[in-house]
Amino acid sequence: MKNIAVKAFKLCAGYEREDVLRSVSFELHTGEVLGVVGPNGSGKSTLLRALTGLLPLRSGKVQMQGRALPSLSAKERARLCAVQPQIEMPLFDYSVRDFVLLGRHPHRALLGAAHPTDHEAAERALRRAGMSEMSERSIRALSTGEWQRALLARALAQETPLLFLDEPAAHLDPGHRYAIHLLLRQLAHKENRAVLCISHDLNLAAEFCDRLMLLRAGSVLALGTPEEVLQEKILQELFGCAALRVAINPHTGRPGTVFAS
Amino acid sequence: MSTLARLILLGVLTLALLIIAVCVGPTSLLNFSSLWHLLREGASTPELQRASLVLWELRLPRVFLAAGVGANLALGGLLLQAIFRNPLAEPYLLGLSSGGALAAVLALAAGMTSVTWPALGGSLAVALLVLLLCRHRVASDLPSLLLAGVALGALAQAFTTATILRFNPEALRGILFWLMGSFANQGWSAVALVLPTAVIGFIFTLFLHRPLDLLAIGGESAHHLGVPTHAVQIMGIALAAALAAVTVAVCGTIGFVGLMAPHLARRVAGAPHAVSVPASLLLGVMLTVGSDLVARTLLVGTELPVGVVTGALGCMFFLALLRQKR
Repeated sequence: MKNIAVKAFKLCAGYEREDVLRSVSFELHTGEVLGVVGPNGSGKSTLLRALTGLLPLRSGKVQMQGRALPSLSAKERARLCAVQPQIEMPLFDYSVRDFVLLGRHPHRALLGAAHPTDHEAAERALRRAGMSEMSERSIRALSTGEWQRALLARALAQETPLLFLDEPAAHLDPGHRYAIHLLLRQLAHKENRAVLCISHDLNLAAEFCDRLMLLRAGSVLALGTPEEVLQEKILQELFGCAALRVAINPHTGRPGTVFAS
Repeated sequence: MSTLARLILLGVLTLALLIIAVCVGPTSLLNFSSLWHLLREGASTPELQRASLVLWELRLPRVFLAAGVGANLALGGLLLQAIFRNPLAEPYLLGLSSGGALAAVLALAAGMTSVTWPALGGSLAVALLVLLLCRHRVASDLPSLLLAGVALGALAQAFTTATILRFNPEALRGILFWLMGSFANQGWSAVALVLPTAVIGFIFTLFLHRPLDLLAIGGESAHHLGVPTHAVQIMGIALAAALAAVTVAVCGTIGFVGLMAPHLARRVAGAPHAVSVPASLLLGVMLTVGSDLVARTLLVGTELPVGVVTGALGCMFFLALLRQKR
Protein backbone atom coordinates (compact mmCIF):
# COMPACT_ATOMS: atom_id res chain seq x y z
CA MET A 1 0.00 0.00 0.00
CA LYS A 2 1.48 3.33 -1.09
CA ASN A 3 1.41 6.38 1.10
CA ILE A 4 -0.86 9.01 -0.40
CA ALA A 5 0.69 12.51 -0.22
CA VAL A 6 -1.85 14.39 -2.30
CA LYS A 7 -5.33 13.30 -3.19
CA ALA A 8 -7.26 15.27 -5.79
CA PHE A 9 -10.89 14.35 -6.18
CA LYS A 10 -13.03 15.56 -9.09
CA LEU A 11 -11.37 18.99 -9.31
CA CYS A 12 -13.21 21.61 -11.33
CA ALA A 13 -11.74 25.09 -11.65
CA GLY A 14 -11.43 27.88 -14.18
CA TYR A 15 -11.28 31.59 -14.92
CA GLU A 16 -14.31 33.86 -15.37
CA ARG A 17 -16.83 31.82 -17.36
CA GLU A 18 -14.37 29.34 -18.76
CA ASP A 19 -13.97 25.91 -17.18
CA VAL A 20 -10.35 24.81 -17.47
CA LEU A 21 -10.25 21.75 -15.22
CA ARG A 22 -13.09 19.28 -15.68
CA SER A 23 -13.28 16.72 -12.92
CA VAL A 24 -9.61 15.85 -12.47
CA SER A 25 -8.91 13.04 -9.98
CA PHE A 26 -5.54 11.53 -9.15
CA GLU A 27 -3.26 10.56 -6.29
CA LEU A 28 0.34 11.58 -5.73
CA HIS A 29 2.33 9.08 -3.65
CA THR A 30 5.22 9.76 -1.31
CA GLY A 31 8.50 8.74 -2.87
CA GLU A 32 7.45 9.22 -6.46
CA VAL A 33 7.91 11.75 -9.23
CA LEU A 34 4.67 12.30 -11.10
CA GLY A 35 5.04 14.08 -14.43
CA VAL A 36 2.15 16.12 -15.80
CA VAL A 37 2.23 16.47 -19.58
CA GLY A 38 -0.20 17.72 -22.17
CA PRO A 39 -0.56 20.28 -24.95
CA ASN A 40 -0.61 24.05 -24.38
CA GLY A 41 -3.81 25.10 -22.68
CA SER A 42 -4.64 21.60 -21.43
CA GLY A 43 -4.78 22.88 -17.84
CA LYS A 44 -1.39 21.90 -16.43
CA SER A 45 -0.61 25.19 -14.73
CA THR A 46 -4.24 25.62 -13.74
CA LEU A 47 -4.06 22.22 -12.04
CA LEU A 48 -1.07 23.40 -10.05
CA ARG A 49 -2.92 26.57 -9.02
CA ALA A 50 -6.01 24.63 -8.02
CA LEU A 51 -3.96 22.12 -6.01
CA THR A 52 -2.28 24.89 -4.02
CA GLY A 53 -5.36 26.99 -3.33
CA LEU A 54 -4.24 29.84 -5.57
CA LEU A 55 -7.32 29.35 -7.73
CA PRO A 56 -10.58 28.59 -5.91
CA LEU A 57 -12.15 25.24 -6.72
CA ARG A 58 -15.60 25.25 -8.30
CA SER A 59 -16.08 21.77 -6.98
CA GLY A 60 -13.98 18.84 -5.84
CA LYS A 61 -11.53 18.31 -3.00
CA VAL A 62 -7.80 18.44 -2.41
CA GLN A 63 -6.10 16.67 0.48
CA MET A 64 -2.46 17.17 1.44
CA GLN A 65 -1.06 14.54 3.78
CA GLY A 66 -4.59 13.59 4.71
CA ARG A 67 -5.69 17.12 5.53
CA ALA A 68 -8.26 19.03 3.50
CA LEU A 69 -6.68 22.02 1.75
CA PRO A 70 -9.13 24.64 3.14
CA SER A 71 -8.41 23.49 6.71
CA LEU A 72 -4.72 24.42 6.37
CA SER A 73 -3.55 27.93 7.25
CA ALA A 74 -1.40 29.66 4.64
CA LYS A 75 1.78 28.96 6.62
CA GLU A 76 0.83 25.35 7.36
CA ARG A 77 0.29 24.79 3.65
CA ALA A 78 3.65 26.36 2.87
CA ARG A 79 5.34 24.05 5.38
CA LEU A 80 3.77 21.05 3.63
CA CYS A 81 4.10 22.02 0.01
CA ALA A 82 6.66 24.09 -1.89
CA VAL A 83 6.07 25.35 -5.41
CA GLN A 84 8.51 26.41 -8.06
CA PRO A 85 6.33 28.76 -10.10
CA GLN A 86 6.84 29.82 -13.66
CA ILE A 87 9.13 32.80 -14.12
CA GLU A 88 8.00 35.88 -12.20
CA MET A 89 10.03 39.02 -12.79
CA PRO A 90 11.42 40.51 -9.56
CA LEU A 91 10.77 44.20 -8.91
CA PHE A 92 13.57 44.99 -6.50
CA ASP A 93 17.20 44.02 -6.03
CA TYR A 94 17.80 41.15 -3.64
CA SER A 95 20.93 39.06 -3.38
CA VAL A 96 20.39 35.44 -4.42
CA ARG A 97 21.05 34.37 -0.82
CA ASP A 98 18.47 36.79 0.65
CA PHE A 99 16.01 35.65 -1.99
CA VAL A 100 16.48 31.96 -1.21
CA LEU A 101 16.27 32.71 2.51
CA LEU A 102 12.75 34.01 1.85
CA GLY A 103 11.89 30.35 1.28
CA ARG A 104 12.20 29.96 5.04
CA HIS A 105 9.31 32.36 5.67
CA PRO A 106 6.77 29.64 6.59
CA HIS A 107 9.15 28.34 9.27
CA ARG A 108 9.91 31.74 10.82
CA ALA A 109 8.18 34.18 13.13
CA LEU A 110 7.14 37.53 11.67
CA LEU A 111 9.96 39.38 13.41
CA GLY A 112 13.49 38.40 14.37
CA ALA A 113 16.69 37.35 12.63
CA ALA A 114 16.96 34.08 10.73
CA HIS A 115 17.87 31.06 12.83
CA PRO A 116 21.08 29.12 11.99
CA THR A 117 18.89 26.23 10.74
CA ASP A 118 17.32 28.67 8.27
CA HIS A 119 20.73 29.67 6.95
CA GLU A 120 21.76 26.01 6.71
CA ALA A 121 18.61 25.13 4.76
CA ALA A 122 19.22 28.04 2.39
CA GLU A 123 22.84 27.02 1.81
CA ARG A 124 21.81 23.41 1.18
CA ALA A 125 19.15 24.54 -1.30
CA LEU A 126 21.62 26.82 -3.09
CA ARG A 127 24.08 23.94 -3.37
CA ARG A 128 21.49 21.53 -4.74
CA ALA A 129 20.26 24.00 -7.33
CA GLY A 130 23.86 24.69 -8.35
CA MET A 131 23.63 28.33 -7.26
CA SER A 132 26.16 28.44 -4.41
CA GLU A 133 28.71 30.40 -6.41
CA MET A 134 26.13 32.99 -7.36
CA SER A 135 24.72 33.56 -3.90
CA GLU A 136 26.06 37.11 -3.61
CA ARG A 137 24.82 38.18 -7.04
CA SER A 138 21.75 40.36 -7.47
CA ILE A 139 18.69 38.44 -8.66
CA ARG A 140 18.17 41.08 -11.32
CA ALA A 141 21.57 40.35 -12.81
CA LEU A 142 20.82 36.65 -13.39
CA SER A 143 20.15 35.05 -16.76
CA THR A 144 16.73 33.46 -17.24
CA GLY A 145 18.11 29.99 -16.60
CA GLU A 146 19.95 31.10 -13.46
CA TRP A 147 16.83 32.88 -12.21
CA GLN A 148 14.88 29.68 -12.73
CA ARG A 149 17.40 27.79 -10.64
CA ALA A 150 17.14 30.48 -7.96
CA LEU A 151 13.37 29.87 -7.89
CA LEU A 152 14.05 26.15 -7.51
CA ALA A 153 16.49 26.86 -4.67
CA ARG A 154 13.86 28.95 -2.89
CA ALA A 155 11.35 26.10 -3.16
CA LEU A 156 13.96 23.61 -1.89
CA ALA A 157 14.75 25.88 1.06
CA GLN A 158 11.18 25.40 2.24
CA GLU A 159 12.16 21.75 2.96
CA THR A 160 8.65 20.41 2.48
CA PRO A 161 7.46 16.83 2.02
CA LEU A 162 5.61 17.91 -1.15
CA LEU A 163 7.22 19.69 -4.07
CA PHE A 164 5.34 20.99 -7.11
CA LEU A 165 7.24 22.37 -10.08
CA ASP A 166 5.93 24.22 -13.12
CA GLU A 167 8.30 23.46 -16.00
CA PRO A 168 11.45 23.64 -13.85
CA ALA A 169 13.73 23.04 -16.83
CA ALA A 170 12.10 25.32 -19.41
CA HIS A 171 15.03 27.73 -19.66
CA LEU A 172 17.92 25.44 -18.75
CA ASP A 173 20.75 24.10 -20.87
CA PRO A 174 20.96 20.29 -21.32
CA GLY A 175 23.47 19.84 -18.51
CA HIS A 176 21.36 21.66 -15.95
CA ARG A 177 18.17 20.09 -17.27
CA TYR A 178 19.65 16.68 -16.63
CA ALA A 179 20.95 17.68 -13.19
CA ILE A 180 17.58 19.08 -12.10
CA HIS A 181 15.71 15.93 -13.12
CA LEU A 182 18.28 13.76 -11.38
CA LEU A 183 17.76 15.89 -8.28
CA LEU A 184 13.99 15.49 -8.46
CA ARG A 185 14.34 11.73 -8.64
CA GLN A 186 16.74 11.75 -5.71
CA LEU A 187 14.35 13.89 -3.63
CA ALA A 188 11.58 11.38 -4.24
CA HIS A 189 13.44 8.08 -4.05
CA LYS A 190 16.08 8.83 -1.40
CA GLU A 191 14.27 11.40 0.74
CA ASN A 192 10.77 10.06 0.31
CA ARG A 193 9.24 13.30 -0.90
CA ALA A 194 6.31 13.54 -3.27
CA VAL A 195 7.21 15.45 -6.43
CA LEU A 196 4.76 16.70 -9.04
CA CYS A 197 6.44 18.14 -12.10
CA ILE A 198 4.81 19.84 -15.07
CA SER A 199 6.89 19.26 -18.15
CA HIS A 200 6.91 19.95 -21.86
CA ASP A 201 9.78 17.64 -22.53
CA LEU A 202 8.22 14.20 -23.05
CA ASN A 203 11.59 12.50 -23.23
CA LEU A 204 12.90 13.87 -19.97
CA ALA A 205 9.55 13.29 -18.30
CA ALA A 206 9.49 9.66 -19.44
CA GLU A 207 13.11 9.20 -18.40
CA PHE A 208 12.87 10.59 -14.88
CA CYS A 209 9.23 10.34 -13.78
CA ASP A 210 7.85 7.23 -12.11
CA ARG A 211 4.41 7.91 -13.48
CA LEU A 212 3.01 10.27 -16.09
CA MET A 213 -0.36 11.98 -16.25
CA LEU A 214 -1.60 13.11 -19.64
CA LEU A 215 -4.00 16.03 -19.60
CA ARG A 216 -6.34 16.84 -22.47
CA ALA A 217 -8.67 19.85 -22.33
CA GLY A 218 -8.78 19.78 -18.55
CA SER A 219 -9.33 16.07 -18.00
CA VAL A 220 -7.02 13.15 -17.35
CA LEU A 221 -6.51 11.23 -20.58
CA ALA A 222 -4.11 8.65 -19.18
CA LEU A 223 -2.27 8.02 -15.92
CA GLY A 224 0.37 5.34 -15.43
CA THR A 225 4.00 4.37 -15.97
CA PRO A 226 5.72 5.97 -18.96
CA GLU A 227 5.49 2.64 -20.79
CA GLU A 228 1.73 2.52 -20.27
CA VAL A 229 1.06 6.14 -21.08
CA LEU A 230 3.35 6.85 -24.03
CA GLN A 231 1.31 5.16 -26.76
CA GLU A 232 1.90 6.39 -30.29
CA LYS A 233 -1.79 6.62 -31.17
CA ILE A 234 -2.68 8.58 -28.02
CA LEU A 235 0.21 11.02 -28.38
CA GLN A 236 -0.35 11.65 -32.09
CA GLU A 237 -3.96 12.50 -31.41
CA LEU A 238 -3.28 14.46 -28.21
CA PHE A 239 -0.68 16.74 -29.74
CA GLY A 240 -2.25 16.76 -33.22
CA CYS A 241 1.00 15.60 -34.76
CA ALA A 242 1.04 12.60 -37.07
CA ALA A 243 4.85 12.64 -37.28
CA LEU A 244 5.22 11.75 -33.59
CA ARG A 245 6.68 8.30 -32.92
CA VAL A 246 7.47 6.47 -29.72
CA ALA A 247 11.04 5.16 -29.59
CA ILE A 248 12.99 3.34 -26.92
CA ASN A 249 16.13 5.00 -25.60
CA PRO A 250 18.81 2.35 -26.32
CA HIS A 251 20.83 3.42 -23.27
CA THR A 252 18.13 3.27 -20.61
CA GLY A 253 15.38 1.20 -22.21
CA ARG A 254 12.82 3.92 -21.40
CA PRO A 255 10.31 5.14 -23.98
CA GLY A 256 10.49 8.58 -25.54
CA THR A 257 9.32 10.42 -28.62
CA VAL A 258 10.96 11.27 -31.91
CA PHE A 259 9.66 12.80 -35.14
CA ALA A 260 9.36 10.54 -38.15
CA SER A 261 9.86 13.41 -40.57
CA MET B 1 29.83 49.53 5.14
CA SER B 2 27.47 47.05 6.71
CA THR B 3 23.73 47.56 6.46
CA LEU B 4 23.40 48.14 10.19
CA ALA B 5 26.13 50.80 10.09
CA ARG B 6 24.31 52.55 7.27
CA LEU B 7 21.06 52.55 9.23
CA ILE B 8 22.82 53.97 12.29
CA LEU B 9 24.49 56.65 10.18
CA LEU B 10 21.10 57.51 8.69
CA GLY B 11 19.65 57.78 12.18
CA VAL B 12 22.45 60.11 13.32
CA LEU B 13 22.03 62.30 10.25
CA THR B 14 18.28 62.48 10.86
CA LEU B 15 18.82 63.52 14.46
CA ALA B 16 21.30 66.20 13.37
CA LEU B 17 18.84 67.56 10.83
CA LEU B 18 16.08 67.66 13.46
CA ILE B 19 18.31 69.71 15.77
CA ILE B 20 19.25 72.09 12.96
CA ALA B 21 15.57 72.48 12.01
CA VAL B 22 14.72 73.38 15.62
CA CYS B 23 17.49 75.98 15.81
CA VAL B 24 16.98 77.76 12.50
CA GLY B 25 14.09 80.03 11.66
CA PRO B 26 12.93 83.57 10.98
CA THR B 27 13.39 84.67 14.59
CA SER B 28 16.89 84.54 16.04
CA LEU B 29 15.53 84.21 19.59
CA LEU B 30 16.20 80.50 19.36
CA ASN B 31 19.52 79.34 17.90
CA PHE B 32 22.13 76.70 18.65
CA SER B 33 23.67 78.53 21.63
CA SER B 34 20.36 79.51 23.22
CA LEU B 35 19.11 75.94 22.81
CA TRP B 36 22.28 74.73 24.51
CA HIS B 37 21.81 77.15 27.42
CA LEU B 38 18.14 76.25 27.62
CA LEU B 39 18.96 72.58 27.88
CA ARG B 40 21.64 73.16 30.54
CA GLU B 41 20.12 75.86 32.69
CA GLY B 42 16.42 75.88 31.90
CA ALA B 43 14.56 79.15 31.23
CA SER B 44 16.60 81.13 33.78
CA THR B 45 16.68 84.57 32.09
CA PRO B 46 13.92 86.53 30.30
CA GLU B 47 15.78 85.96 27.05
CA LEU B 48 15.84 82.23 27.59
CA GLN B 49 12.18 82.34 28.54
CA ARG B 50 11.39 83.82 25.15
CA ALA B 51 13.59 81.21 23.50
CA SER B 52 11.75 78.54 25.43
CA LEU B 53 8.45 79.91 24.17
CA VAL B 54 9.69 79.78 20.56
CA LEU B 55 10.96 76.27 21.14
CA TRP B 56 7.75 74.86 22.61
CA GLU B 57 5.14 76.84 20.74
CA LEU B 58 6.69 77.22 17.30
CA ARG B 59 9.69 75.12 16.40
CA LEU B 60 9.14 71.82 18.18
CA PRO B 61 5.54 71.25 17.04
CA ARG B 62 6.48 72.25 13.53
CA VAL B 63 9.53 69.99 13.33
CA PHE B 64 7.67 67.08 14.93
CA LEU B 65 4.77 67.60 12.56
CA ALA B 66 7.07 67.60 9.53
CA ALA B 67 8.85 64.50 10.84
CA GLY B 68 5.60 62.63 11.44
CA VAL B 69 4.25 63.55 8.03
CA GLY B 70 7.48 62.45 6.34
CA ALA B 71 7.35 59.11 8.15
CA ASN B 72 3.68 58.61 7.23
CA LEU B 73 4.21 59.34 3.56
CA ALA B 74 7.39 57.26 3.28
CA LEU B 75 5.83 54.22 4.95
CA GLY B 76 2.68 54.57 2.82
CA GLY B 77 4.76 54.73 -0.34
CA LEU B 78 6.86 51.73 0.66
CA LEU B 79 3.75 49.66 1.42
CA LEU B 80 2.02 50.53 -1.84
CA GLN B 81 5.08 50.02 -4.02
CA ALA B 82 5.48 46.47 -2.73
CA ILE B 83 1.78 45.63 -2.77
CA PHE B 84 1.12 47.01 -6.25
CA ARG B 85 4.47 45.77 -7.51
CA ASN B 86 4.87 49.21 -8.99
CA PRO B 87 7.85 51.47 -8.29
CA LEU B 88 5.73 54.53 -9.11
CA ALA B 89 3.00 53.83 -6.56
CA GLU B 90 2.60 56.43 -3.84
CA PRO B 91 0.03 57.26 -1.16
CA TYR B 92 -1.83 59.92 -3.15
CA LEU B 93 -2.42 57.59 -6.05
CA LEU B 94 -5.56 56.18 -4.48
CA GLY B 95 -7.36 59.51 -4.87
CA LEU B 96 -6.95 60.26 -1.19
CA SER B 97 -5.50 63.73 -1.41
CA SER B 98 -8.20 64.88 -3.81
CA GLY B 99 -10.92 63.47 -1.59
CA GLY B 100 -9.44 65.17 1.44
CA ALA B 101 -9.03 68.45 -0.43
CA LEU B 102 -12.64 68.39 -1.63
CA ALA B 103 -13.96 67.82 1.87
CA ALA B 104 -11.70 70.57 3.23
CA VAL B 105 -12.78 73.07 0.60
CA LEU B 106 -16.45 72.23 1.14
CA ALA B 107 -15.99 72.71 4.89
CA LEU B 108 -14.43 76.14 4.31
CA ALA B 109 -17.24 77.08 1.95
CA ALA B 110 -19.70 76.09 4.65
CA GLY B 111 -17.98 78.49 7.05
CA MET B 112 -15.96 76.05 9.15
CA THR B 113 -12.57 77.30 10.32
CA SER B 114 -10.70 74.03 10.90
CA VAL B 115 -10.39 71.64 7.99
CA THR B 116 -8.57 68.81 9.76
CA TRP B 117 -11.52 66.56 10.51
CA PRO B 118 -13.42 67.14 7.24
CA ALA B 119 -10.24 66.44 5.28
CA LEU B 120 -9.61 63.26 7.24
CA GLY B 121 -13.16 62.14 6.57
CA GLY B 122 -12.91 62.98 2.87
CA SER B 123 -9.66 61.09 2.34
CA LEU B 124 -10.87 58.03 4.21
CA ALA B 125 -14.18 58.13 2.34
CA VAL B 126 -12.42 58.00 -1.01
CA ALA B 127 -10.13 55.21 0.16
CA LEU B 128 -13.10 53.19 1.38
CA LEU B 129 -14.98 53.80 -1.85
CA VAL B 130 -12.00 52.60 -3.90
CA LEU B 131 -11.68 49.47 -1.78
CA LEU B 132 -15.41 48.78 -1.94
CA LEU B 133 -15.47 49.23 -5.71
CA CYS B 134 -12.76 46.62 -6.07
CA ARG B 135 -13.38 44.38 -3.07
CA HIS B 136 -13.75 41.26 -5.16
CA ARG B 137 -10.77 41.93 -7.33
CA VAL B 138 -8.01 43.28 -5.11
CA ALA B 139 -5.83 40.21 -5.17
CA SER B 140 -6.29 39.35 -8.81
CA ASP B 141 -6.54 42.77 -10.36
CA LEU B 142 -4.46 45.42 -8.64
CA PRO B 143 -4.26 47.76 -11.66
CA SER B 144 -8.04 48.25 -11.62
CA LEU B 145 -7.75 49.42 -8.03
CA LEU B 146 -5.27 52.08 -9.08
CA LEU B 147 -7.55 53.12 -11.94
CA ALA B 148 -10.50 53.46 -9.57
CA GLY B 149 -8.36 55.66 -7.30
CA VAL B 150 -7.22 57.84 -10.19
CA ALA B 151 -10.79 58.17 -11.51
CA LEU B 152 -12.31 59.10 -8.16
CA GLY B 153 -9.42 61.47 -7.53
CA ALA B 154 -10.05 63.26 -10.82
CA LEU B 155 -13.75 63.60 -10.01
CA ALA B 156 -13.02 65.02 -6.55
CA GLN B 157 -10.52 67.43 -8.07
CA ALA B 158 -13.10 68.71 -10.56
CA PHE B 159 -15.55 69.41 -7.74
CA THR B 160 -12.78 71.06 -5.69
CA THR B 161 -11.94 73.43 -8.53
CA ALA B 162 -15.61 74.27 -9.04
CA THR B 163 -15.98 75.04 -5.32
CA ILE B 164 -12.79 77.12 -5.10
CA LEU B 165 -14.01 79.42 -7.85
CA ARG B 166 -16.71 80.68 -5.49
CA PHE B 167 -14.25 81.90 -2.83
CA ASN B 168 -13.19 85.56 -2.52
CA PRO B 169 -9.53 86.27 -3.37
CA GLU B 170 -8.34 86.47 0.23
CA ALA B 171 -9.84 83.09 1.18
CA LEU B 172 -8.56 81.68 -2.11
CA ARG B 173 -4.97 82.48 -1.10
CA GLY B 174 -5.33 80.58 2.13
CA ILE B 175 -6.95 77.54 0.60
CA LEU B 176 -4.37 77.34 -2.20
CA PHE B 177 -1.60 77.49 0.38
CA TRP B 178 -3.19 74.60 2.24
CA LEU B 179 -3.74 72.61 -0.94
CA MET B 180 -0.06 72.85 -1.80
CA GLY B 181 0.96 71.56 1.57
CA SER B 182 2.15 73.57 4.54
CA PHE B 183 3.23 73.05 8.13
CA ALA B 184 2.51 76.67 9.08
CA ASN B 185 0.13 77.62 11.87
CA GLN B 186 -0.21 74.13 13.32
CA GLY B 187 0.24 73.26 16.94
CA TRP B 188 0.60 70.26 19.15
CA SER B 189 -2.89 69.01 18.28
CA ALA B 190 -1.73 68.29 14.73
CA VAL B 191 1.38 66.56 16.10
CA ALA B 192 -0.87 64.45 18.34
CA LEU B 193 -2.62 63.20 15.22
CA VAL B 194 0.43 62.54 13.04
CA LEU B 195 3.08 61.16 15.39
CA PRO B 196 1.03 58.28 16.87
CA THR B 197 -0.09 57.16 13.42
CA ALA B 198 3.54 57.22 12.29
CA VAL B 199 4.54 55.02 15.22
CA ILE B 200 1.65 52.60 14.68
CA GLY B 201 2.33 52.54 10.93
CA PHE B 202 6.01 51.80 11.54
CA ILE B 203 5.26 48.89 13.87
CA PHE B 204 2.70 47.38 11.49
CA THR B 205 4.96 47.77 8.48
CA LEU B 206 7.87 46.21 10.33
CA PHE B 207 5.73 43.20 11.19
CA LEU B 208 4.78 42.89 7.51
CA HIS B 209 8.36 43.15 6.29
CA ARG B 210 8.74 39.62 4.93
CA PRO B 211 5.23 39.38 3.44
CA LEU B 212 6.07 42.66 1.68
CA ASP B 213 9.31 41.15 0.35
CA LEU B 214 7.35 38.22 -1.01
CA LEU B 215 4.57 40.33 -2.49
CA ALA B 216 7.13 42.52 -4.24
CA ILE B 217 8.61 39.39 -5.81
CA GLY B 218 5.24 38.15 -7.02
CA GLY B 219 1.74 37.39 -5.85
CA GLU B 220 2.00 33.71 -6.69
CA SER B 221 5.30 33.29 -4.89
CA ALA B 222 3.88 35.03 -1.84
CA HIS B 223 0.92 32.66 -1.80
CA HIS B 224 3.11 29.59 -2.13
CA LEU B 225 5.32 30.77 0.70
CA GLY B 226 2.46 31.03 3.13
CA VAL B 227 1.48 34.70 2.92
CA PRO B 228 -2.29 35.27 3.16
CA THR B 229 -1.92 37.60 0.19
CA HIS B 230 -5.43 39.00 0.10
CA ALA B 231 -5.45 39.91 3.79
CA VAL B 232 -1.98 41.48 3.65
CA GLN B 233 -2.87 43.51 0.57
CA ILE B 234 -6.07 44.86 2.10
CA MET B 235 -4.30 45.57 5.39
CA GLY B 236 -1.40 47.33 3.68
CA ILE B 237 -3.61 49.45 1.44
CA ALA B 238 -5.86 50.41 4.35
CA LEU B 239 -2.82 51.33 6.45
CA ALA B 240 -1.26 53.40 3.66
CA ALA B 241 -4.62 55.11 3.12
CA ALA B 242 -4.96 55.96 6.81
CA LEU B 243 -1.41 57.31 6.96
CA ALA B 244 -1.98 59.49 3.91
CA ALA B 245 -5.42 60.62 5.07
CA VAL B 246 -4.03 61.89 8.36
CA THR B 247 -1.30 63.72 6.46
CA VAL B 248 -3.71 65.37 4.05
CA ALA B 249 -5.97 66.36 6.92
CA VAL B 250 -3.20 68.11 8.79
CA CYS B 251 -1.16 69.77 6.08
CA GLY B 252 -2.59 69.31 2.61
CA THR B 253 -0.83 67.59 -0.24
CA ILE B 254 2.91 67.10 0.04
CA GLY B 255 3.92 65.27 -3.09
CA PHE B 256 6.87 63.07 -4.00
CA VAL B 257 8.03 62.22 -0.47
CA GLY B 258 6.14 58.91 -0.60
CA LEU B 259 7.78 58.22 -3.92
CA MET B 260 11.34 59.37 -3.21
CA ALA B 261 11.91 58.05 0.30
CA PRO B 262 11.39 54.32 -0.51
CA HIS B 263 13.56 54.57 -3.63
CA LEU B 264 16.36 56.25 -1.72
CA ALA B 265 15.96 53.79 1.15
CA ARG B 266 16.39 50.77 -1.11
CA ARG B 267 19.44 52.41 -2.61
CA VAL B 268 21.03 53.29 0.72
CA ALA B 269 20.11 50.24 2.83
CA GLY B 270 19.04 47.55 0.36
CA ALA B 271 15.80 46.04 -0.92
CA PRO B 272 14.81 43.68 1.94
CA HIS B 273 12.03 45.40 3.84
CA ALA B 274 13.63 44.50 7.18
CA VAL B 275 16.05 47.35 6.42
CA SER B 276 14.15 49.45 3.89
CA VAL B 277 11.28 50.04 6.35
CA PRO B 278 13.40 51.86 8.95
CA ALA B 279 15.49 53.49 6.22
CA SER B 280 12.37 54.79 4.45
CA LEU B 281 11.03 56.20 7.67
CA LEU B 282 14.29 58.06 8.39
CA LEU B 283 14.63 59.34 4.83
CA GLY B 284 10.99 60.46 4.81
CA VAL B 285 11.64 62.42 8.00
CA MET B 286 14.79 63.97 6.51
CA LEU B 287 13.06 64.90 3.25
CA THR B 288 10.11 66.68 4.85
CA VAL B 289 12.00 68.31 7.71
CA GLY B 290 14.68 69.43 5.24
CA SER B 291 12.12 70.68 2.72
CA ASP B 292 10.26 72.58 5.43
CA LEU B 293 13.52 74.13 6.57
CA VAL B 294 14.13 75.35 3.01
CA ALA B 295 10.49 76.45 2.63
CA ARG B 296 10.64 78.73 5.65
CA THR B 297 14.15 80.12 5.25
CA LEU B 298 14.71 80.44 1.49
CA LEU B 299 12.74 83.68 1.07
CA VAL B 300 13.08 86.41 3.67
CA GLY B 301 9.81 87.60 5.15
CA THR B 302 7.59 85.02 3.51
CA GLU B 303 7.17 81.28 3.37
CA LEU B 304 6.93 78.84 0.47
CA PRO B 305 4.40 76.01 0.58
CA VAL B 306 6.49 72.96 1.49
CA GLY B 307 4.80 71.04 -1.34
CA VAL B 308 6.57 73.36 -3.78
CA VAL B 309 9.95 72.42 -2.31
CA THR B 310 9.25 68.66 -2.32
CA GLY B 311 7.91 68.98 -5.88
CA ALA B 312 11.14 70.63 -7.03
CA LEU B 313 13.19 68.02 -5.17
CA GLY B 314 11.10 65.23 -6.73
CA CYS B 315 11.72 66.57 -10.22
CA MET B 316 15.47 66.70 -9.69
CA PHE B 317 15.40 63.26 -8.10
CA PHE B 318 13.74 61.64 -11.08
CA LEU B 319 15.92 63.41 -13.60
CA ALA B 320 18.95 62.13 -11.70
CA LEU B 321 17.46 58.64 -11.68
CA LEU B 322 16.92 58.83 -15.42
CA ARG B 323 20.53 59.87 -16.02
CA GLN B 324 21.85 56.96 -13.97
CA LYS B 325 19.69 54.36 -15.69
CA ARG B 326 21.12 55.22 -19.10
